[in-house]
Parts: sequence; C-alpha cells; structure tokens
Amino acid sequence: MIFSRLQAAILPNRAVDQVTMSILVVGWIAAALGVWIASPFKTLPTPGEIVHALGQLWWERGMAYEIFATVKLIAHATLLTVVISLVLSYATVVAAFRPLVAAASKLRFLGITGLVFPFTLATGGGYPLKVALLTFGMATFFTTSMAQVVLEIPREQFDHMRVLGASEARIVWEVVVRGTVDKALDVLRQNVAMGWAMITMVEGISRAEGGIGAMILNENKHFLLAEVYAILFVILLLGLAMDYGMGILTNILCPYVALGRVKR
Amino acid sequence: MIDEVLLDVSGVSLTLGDSLVIDDLSFRVIDRVRAGVVTGQVVGLLGPSGVGKTRLLRIIAGLDAPDRGTVRGMNGAELPAGSVGFIFQDYPLLAHRTVLGNLLVAGEIRGLARREASKRAMDLLDTFHLADRAESYPAQLSGGQRQRVSIAQQIMRPRQLLLMDEPFSGLDPVALASVMRLIVTVANLDELNTVLLVTHDIRAAMAVSDTVHMLGRPREDGRSKPGARVIHSYDMVERGLAWHEDIEKMPAFAELEHEIRGRFDEL
Repeated sequence: MIFSRLQAAILPNRAVDQVTMSILVVGWIAAALGVWIASPFKTLPTPGEIVHALGQLWWERGMAYEIFATVKLIAHATLLTVVISLVLSYATVVAAFRPLVAAASKLRFLGITGLVFPFTLATGGGYPLKVALLTFGMATFFTTSMAQVVLEIPREQFDHMRVLGASEARIVWEVVVRGTVDKALDVLRQNVAMGWAMITMVEGISRAEGGIGAMILNENKHFLLAEVYAILFVILLLGLAMDYGMGILTNILCPYVALGRVKR
Repeated sequence: MIDEVLLDVSGVSLTLGDSLVIDDLSFRVIDRVRAGVVTGQVVGLLGPSGVGKTRLLRIIAGLDAPDRGTVRGMNGAELPAGSVGFIFQDYPLLAHRTVLGNLLVAGEIRGLARREASKRAMDLLDTFHLADRAESYPAQLSGGQRQRVSIAQQIMRPRQLLLMDEPFSGLDPVALASVMRLIVTVANLDELNTVLLVTHDIRAAMAVSDTVHMLGRPREDGRSKPGARVIHSYDMVERGLAWHEDIEKMPAFAELEHEIRGRFDEL
C-alpha cells in the first residue's frame, strides 16, 4: 500500500489520491522547515524570531490596519482592472478596436516607476495614484491574457450559434462573455497574485497612507529582517487565502470546469 | 404532378487560395412522396476525405459564400445562416450550459416563451432518451449523447433542412444502428423534412438514404482534375433499396455497395 503510493508519487504521469497528496505536502513543508532551521546563514531569522516579530507587529505596530489598507487598495485596483480589461478584451470582437487593444496590451512592457510622474499629474497623488498605478500594472497583463482567450475561441463555437439563428449580439454574449467566464476568473486569479507582487513598489511610492507594502519597506530600511520575513509570511498567507477563495468562487460560478478537468 | 424541389444546389464553385475546392457542383433534393405515409428525405453525400464535403455543407448552411452558383430552398427561397440546421462533426454545445440550458437557448433564439421552450425541450429530451441528462453539462456526456443533444438543439427550432457532417464517424455497430434510426426518425417528422448528410461510410449512407450522391474530382487522362463535383447519383427508391426493413440483407444492396465501393476507390 505505502509502496504503491510512493511509486505513484515518484513516477511520471501518475494520478495520486488525496491522502498521498496530503502526505506529500506535509513532507515538503517539513523538509523546508528542516532546511530553514539547519541553515548556516546567520542573517536568516529563525522561525521563533519570526513568530515573535509577528506578535510585535500585530499587537504593537497596528499590522491589522496596514493589512486592511493594502487589501482595500488591491480590491479597488482589481475591480477597476476587471472592468477595464474585460471591456477591452470583449471589444476585440469588433475589428475597429483591435489595434487599440493591441496597443494597450503592449503597455505591459513599460515599468511602473517611470510612469509615476504623469500618473501623479493625472491623479493628484496619494491613494488615487496608488490605485491608478496598480490598476495599470494589472490591467495591461489582464488585457493581454484575456484578449488571447477571446482570440482563441474556436470558429465552430460562433458558427454553432449562427446556425441556431442567433444574432451577432447574442453570439457575443453567449460565446464570448458567458463562454469565457471560467477563463476570466483564472486570469484574474493570476493577476491578483501579480497585484500582491507589485504592492511593495506601489505602496513605497506614497507611504503616507500606510499599507503592508509600506510597512515592509520601513522594516527593511532598518534591517529588521525578522519583521520583514514576518510581513512576507503574512503576504503569502493572504495571497494563498485569496487564491483559494477565488478557486472556490470559480467552482461555484462555473461547476462545469471541474467536470472537464482530467486527473493524471 | 411536378416534383417539389426542396433544395436546389446549382453550379456552386469555391476556391480557397489557389486551390479549386468545388467546381460547378449541382444537385437537387425533391419531395419523395409515399401514399399514406409521412416520409421525409434523407440524402447522402459520399466522398473521400478532403474532397470538400464539409465546405459544401457550410455553403448550404449559409456560413460560407460560394464564388459562383446558388443554393436555394423551397419555392426558390434563399437560405441565410440560421435557416438550415447543421450538426457539426464535433457536436459543439455551450459548455457553460446544461443539456436543458442548451436547448432553451435555441428556444429563446426562436422566440419561444420560457414555459413553452421548457415544455418543448423536455419533450425532445424524452424523444431522444435524454430526460435523465437534462441537468448534466456537456462535459458529462458521451459522444453519442452529445450527438443526440446537438440534434435536439437543432430541432428546437423547426427547420426543414438539417445538415449532418460525418454523423457515423467513430461509432461502434450498435451506436451506428441507433444513429441511423435517429436520422430516419428526424427526417420522417415532417413530409418536407430533409436530412442531408455527408460521410465516407458507404454502407451506412446507402442504408439510410433515399438518394446517394457521390462527390469526387473527375479524372482526365488518368489524373484527377481540381474541384469536386457530383460524379454519380443513385436513386435508392427507384432501385427498391429504400424504405424497407433489412435493406442491407438484400442482394441488390450488396451489388450496389460493391459498385459504389469500386467507383469510390477510383476517386
């Protein structure tokens, strides 16, 4: 029994059951902790130091408020990203808009830092600036991925609706909008992760409103590594929680996705 | 009595890039009348792979325009996209809707009220032995079930011409017999119904059709000319090889199958 589980876990293209997967996850976490504890690097804080720093940050430095500020910022930017990117992506069904969407998608090559000045002029700085920068960063990638999803819808799907006698507007609604909801959620999931990765840079631009990104920069400036890693740990947990939540949301809104998934 | 023309494909040509795919292709479907029996038409278009069968179906369905020629229905009416049912080879369905939902979409497009559409959909699911799959998603269906749902979806909006692209492809003998029965059932729902199917399965096409047209590229000096045409037509009714049980056991059926297979091999 144990041997067959072990065999399935180490051979390529084998399916493993839930119990085996749980054992694997626990095994990898234990291995990572072992490497961490046995690490010879003095600059790497120990798990105990990080737990202690986390307690201090939470009870004495108002970490809960900073988390709230960051989550609010990310939620705001995500909402704007979804609206802007979906409108642009769905607009690719009209040939006239395709160059515009292609241009918007190419903006992802621009670094956010260089855009701070024009965005400050446009938004007046502060919270609106951070929302604008984060939205820009996420929307360019979201639009690129989602426009590709729309582009890759098989022609047969459109023809299928045409032979049923559907109007072009109904085809767009049924095939392009409703037919890609699962993929839109998947792209959003990746982009929210990207938002978390960008948060330190964005919150560092204007630290007055706080946020967990600003907090990590402040701790880093004073080389308080235990605090830095404690904040990173919290960001990781928040990101994982959001990712898990979005996975559940996908399963609720699009139950057909799991049905088509092949286990291997 | 003048035969009523249900479909008139006249001089259709199609070029893709530099390649002439269909060249001056013509055939007609007429109402085959049997006294006292509602009999729709089943027409088989036989041809080897890559001859342009699916392209021809797309033109008849109004999805593609021919370079030359016309496709007209009853009373010379044009056939825009949506006026002809079309079962694609891969049976596309809306993956985000249940089986019932897929049928309801077709009902909504037809302009049926929700209650009426639901009733018709459930009736059709009963007819096609799919009532227990009403709440299933397409990803949960077998190939045969997908095919039946596709047919039911097309029938939600009654149209007298139904095109089927390779309906016998990849079926085991039991499923094949079932699909053949289904095609005849659908055709016989109305006297003016026509099921036009393209296939390279000679025996199945002969068994189910009242007329078989063979598509191919005409040969000249041992080489085939570009562009598919109707090379031969077989009136199965005239030959006494339609509308009977156990047609496939008749010696004349075997002889004709042998003849068609010989011609098929020459294409």
